Amino acid sequence: MGRITQLKPLSEISTPEINLSITRSAVSMADDQRIIVVGNSAGQLVEFDFSSKSSTSEKTRSRHFESGHSSYVTGVVWTKGGIVSVGYDRKMIWWDPLERTVLREVVAHEKWIRRIAVSPDGTTIATVADDMHCKLWNAITGELKFVLDDHQPVTPHHYPSMLYAVAFSASGEQLATGDKVGHIAIWETQTGRKLGELESPGMYTWDPKARRHSIGGIRSLAFSQNGSTLAVGGIGAIGNVDHLDGPARVEIFDWRQAKSLVQLSDTAMKGLVEQLHFSNDDSQLITAGGDNNGFITVYDLATNKIDVQVKAHQHLHGLIVDEASQRLYAAHHGKVSMWELQDEPVA
Amino acid sequence: MSLFSQDQWPTRIPPHNGLRGIENASQLRDGTSRRGFLKASLAGTAFAASMHQLDILQNPVFANELKRQQKHVILIWLAGGASQLETWDPKPGRATGGPFAAIQTNVAGVSISELLPKMSQRMHHSAIIRSLNTKNADHGGAAKIMETGRAVDQGIPCPDLGAMIAHELGRADSQVPDYVSMYSSTEGRRQGGSGFLGGRYAPMFLTEQMIPENTSRLESLSELDHSARSDLRSFLANRFREGRPDLSVDSHNSAYQRVRGIMSSANLFNIELEPMDVRARYGPTQFGEQCLIARRLVEAGVPFVKVARAWWDSHGQNFETHLELVTELDHVLATLIDDLEERGLLEHTLIATFGEFGRTPQINSSLGRDHFASAWSASLHGAGIRGGSVYGKTDADGLKVIDGEVNAADLFATIFHAIGIDYRKEFHVGARPVPITDFGGKPIRDILL
Repeated sequence: MGRITQLKPLSEISTPEINLSITRSAVSMADDQRIIVVGNSAGQLVEFDFSSKSSTSEKTRSRHFESGHSSYVTGVVWTKGGIVSVGYDRKMIWWDPLERTVLREVVAHEKWIRRIAVSPDGTTIATVADDMHCKLWNAITGELKFVLDDHQPVTPHHYPSMLYAVAFSASGEQLATGDKVGHIAIWETQTGRKLGELESPGMYTWDPKARRHSIGGIRSLAFSQNGSTLAVGGIGAIGNVDHLDGPARVEIFDWRQAKSLVQLSDTAMKGLVEQLHFSNDDSQLITAGGDNNGFITVYDLATNKIDVQVKAHQHLHGLIVDEASQRLYAAHHGKVSMWELQDEPVA
Repeated sequence: MSLFSQDQWPTRIPPHNGLRGIENASQLRDGTSRRGFLKASLAGTAFAASMHQLDILQNPVFANELKRQQKHVILIWLAGGASQLETWDPKPGRATGGPFAAIQTNVAGVSISELLPKMSQRMHHSAIIRSLNTKNADHGGAAKIMETGRAVDQGIPCPDLGAMIAHELGRADSQVPDYVSMYSSTEGRRQGGSGFLGGRYAPMFLTEQMIPENTSRLESLSELDHSARSDLRSFLANRFREGRPDLSVDSHNSAYQRVRGIMSSANLFNIELEPMDVRARYGPTQFGEQCLIARRLVEAGVPFVKVARAWWDSHGQNFETHLELVTELDHVLATLIDDLEERGLLEHTLIATFGEFGRTPQINSSLGRDHFASAWSASLHGAGIRGGSVYGKTDADGLKVIDGEVNAADLFATIFHAIGIDYRKEFHVGARPVPITDFGGKPIRDILL
């Protein structure tokens, strides 16, 4: 449970697909169980074995799940009901992680499903989609529990909005959703009641003059481990929306007070912040994403300065961190990777 | 609602800017002969080549026929380069296909991107060209090709499509502009131009405001005084002109008439004069409003209107960009087609959509697509088009054209043919013949009526 002191690449696997989402395949991510599952642009789920016995070999093993999705797989999580994936085909699919076969399949939304999140106890799933609904599901039975609506379907400039991001708090009691125009809603998961809302208008990148469109939005959310703050990730003011040419931007809120605490903006490694993760003691925040290049940036939240930063292989879409904050696994455009986060030798 | 009553439609006189429009010797140089209406309406009646053209056109029968036959073009310029894979040539299930599905249109066997659900139900008014290979994937060079239809520098400034159509279909004494171009975004903004055809055919170019600036009468001058001054100027000009047959004098007088006409047509650009339900149909976006203006202009007799929608240059986040922009294009284009059809204008109006190029089938690491001119698409709708037709074919991944390759000259020849302009016509710049369609260009007969 130590402090993140480095981002050292340990292993990587090249793929022909765009890897968009990532999860673990078992309860533990111990050395001999480092099996991750990645959703990709071919509509596939693929299992990669990064365990100690195989990661030393040049060819790390990969195994495909049976077919299920017909478009990009944009989210995948491990739950107590199995692995669950979502995609642009509007489907949510439950999978047997051992057999890699379909357990259950539902058309969960009317438009693209952007992200899926699972409660820390693995029993509740949240999905968000461009129909602007957030849906809460029983991860074990597949029952739909709540439909949460607070996001406008159309932007202030009369274009379709998107509901990109969702995250549970560490306690599982709260849920946050974030959309294209920078609106955030906080929900009580037990009741479906809205607890509050926040605005991060800097995440909305509408260009009214040069190009007349936008590509930003809130792409990531994370509650701190103590539940008091909420980090919101996206991109800042874009000079050229053609190229994601804007600062990687994070805004941190005291969500209960609806108060913005800090805005972090990095122009050295630009692009969308696709992923956020607080360290176990909330002293650091991992951010990841990119433009055509990828980045992983770790902020020291005492100083709000960058602690550690690396350029990653191309755009980074998904990441997970193991329980001890020792290793990070990432899904990139054309690659899956494993990184070491601490100086201390990992057993 | 037409803002011009029938008796306000001007008669046509041939262009007289020193250029010679050379066509088939049996034809006149005006739009009426090009479209052959005389052949249709005066079957069996010899049209004497020696008969003075103006006399003919002042005949109300012919004037009405001319109006009936009048053709228009609305070019929706997709500036920056829209993706053919997210519009007219989807490749679902392929690595290059992206996340969007294809949907069946109302024409059997024709599928387009799911981002175009409204257009999928209007394929009977539409033709798709899927096999453009224009070879230049640089914004500036490619835009020049797709504006002029000429791949090779002619060594002289060449007119763009709008100027050529304004030259062919415009009326010298028209009360409305011949060529209006709207380009609001600043990125990639290009005015286009009339090249060797001269300033007479240059576009009325609107950028920041959709209502032309400096076209209103001074408040200190009453309409009565304004008219009286105009009448006095005309009286003096005509007296001066007597016995002085000179093109420059005519041009001077014509310029005053056009200014007067443009001042009186400023309301054409004011969409607040449209009923609310019509405005609501087009939607609240600037592009929607500009296409409504385009319909108003066409309805009033403007031959060529260009509406540029920028900016499609989706090197990053191609799918987010197209989700936003194609959704708008689908709605506005479908509305424009419906509106023109309901007003009886669609059969006289050709709508074309294309930009400078398409986008790469390969998806880059920003989930973007880059410039691609080797195998891309354009669409045509309305006048002269064989609805429901698809021409050309790309390979399974959209990497190259495998059937029916065409270029910019072929596209231009197709547009000319669709609206009754002889694509073989030549302009003469001094003694030099310059074809209206670049050398070798031929219309795509399969998609024409």
